[in-house]
Amino acid sequence: MPESILKRIATGDRNAVEDCLNSYGGLVYSIARKLLANEADAEDAVQEAFIDVWKNAGRFDPTVASEATFIAMITRRRVIDRIRHSGRRISTDPIEDMVQEPGDRGHKAIEVNVEANEAAEAMRALRPEQQQVLRLSIVDGMSHQEIADLTGIPLGTVKTHARRGLLRVREALGLGSMLEFGGQKEAAI
Amino acid sequence: MNEKDRELLLDLLTRQATEGISSAESRQLAALEGSDDDSFDLAAAAVLLSEFEATDELPTHLRAKIVADATEIVGANVVKPEPDTPTAAERRTPIFAWLGWAVAAGAVLALGINLSMTRFGVTEVAQNPPPTATPTPMTPAEAHDKMMTEPGMTVAKWAPTAKTGDMANVSGDVVWSDKQQKGYVMLRGLPKNEPQASTYQLWIFEENQGDKTPIDGGTFNISSDGTVVIPIDAKLAAKNPSMFAVTVEKPGGVVISKREKVAALAKVETSRPPEA
Repeated sequence: MPESILKRIATGDRNAVEDCLNSYGGLVYSIARKLLANEADAEDAVQEAFIDVWKNAGRFDPTVASEATFIAMITRRRVIDRIRHSGRRISTDPIEDMVQEPGDRGHKAIEVNVEANEAAEAMRALRPEQQQVLRLSIVDGMSHQEIADLTGIPLGTVKTHARRGLLRVREALGLGSMLEFGGQKEAAI
Repeated sequence: MNEKDRELLLDLLTRQATEGISSAESRQLAALEGSDDDSFDLAAAAVLLSEFEATDELPTHLRAKIVADATEIVGANVVKPEPDTPTAAERRTPIFAWLGWAVAAGAVLALGINLSMTRFGVTEVAQNPPPTATPTPMTPAEAHDKMMTEPGMTVAKWAPTAKTGDMANVSGDVVWSDKQQKGYVMLRGLPKNEPQASTYQLWIFEENQGDKTPIDGGTFNISSDGTVVIPIDAKLAAKNPSMFAVTVEKPGGVVISKREKVAALAKVETSRPPEA
């Protein structure tokens, strides 16, 4: 099995930089372009995200997540930071698309990696309102308050759906157990 | 962990992964046991990938910037082993006095003076630029060396915080420019760390934030013996630094250091001519 790109970067292999950009450059840029309002912000976020990738490559553990998921995680953190700092938040999707019935968008998913497929399956197993809240926050970049305003769901309920939905996806991906947080109370819902 | 802290941890980890949290909430999270749990963020990233089509290509100009950044970071801490005998460059290197070392106990500033003299060799840094300039970006060591020759730089020398142990022989220097908001750390004698278990983190004590909340200067790992030169990655604008510190933290670093393990301190003791 070839050594992962991130492991090569962690050991100082500068040739791995090009490999990383070839494999994940489009992914990182696409995430930033989708969630940020303008091109300049997106490019800054991409640049910052890759700086974080170079610095944190040593933390990558292939037994926990794929490289794509690890890099997408770092990218989302940078993009979210920028959204919070600038106060600008957009989605390129029209509102009617954003609030369509949960599950309608699953068929558009591409098979990026095993975890993405497992996450898609886990999402389909969630209650519809949990799916909707997770999609609006994670895929469309909306805050919990914005989701509440858009859907009419009370803010506290939005937060509960986000929490329980994400716990279930996390468990389905083998990243942790529902029982770690709230025991039977969370697990039973 | 009690029920209240667990609820708070769950709330903050969920919000961090779905909508983000404020700086104050980040500090609140950092104080909780389990704050380094990436599983919520990884789950959210997997959800995004499951519903997302990466259709855009990375623009060429942006790719060039990213590669330039990588040149300064990737491999920056992979260094040549120490030579058995001093090199010509080392023999030319001036001798300087060790600065005081200090132990941080609550507050950080308790510097004592170590009067011993030591030689300080810069094995990776050329003393003079090559006669023919090349368009390739400077290495961190070269950039450090250049900044050290410029007027108005803030310069300090590293000193260990312990007389014995594996961190007792730390030395080197740090150079920082308020105007450029950039700088470099050069360290020697810092033991190798296992990135999965811990990381080194740089802190900048300066005017804007005060001593209680120094600015995060970035994390780095040491993978081999020898001299390492690291670009400073200040998370906030730093003004008139008075001291720099290196702590040992959990992988990925922390928002606020508990200062439980301070590897080295560099106190700014000299004033230099204004920056051009």
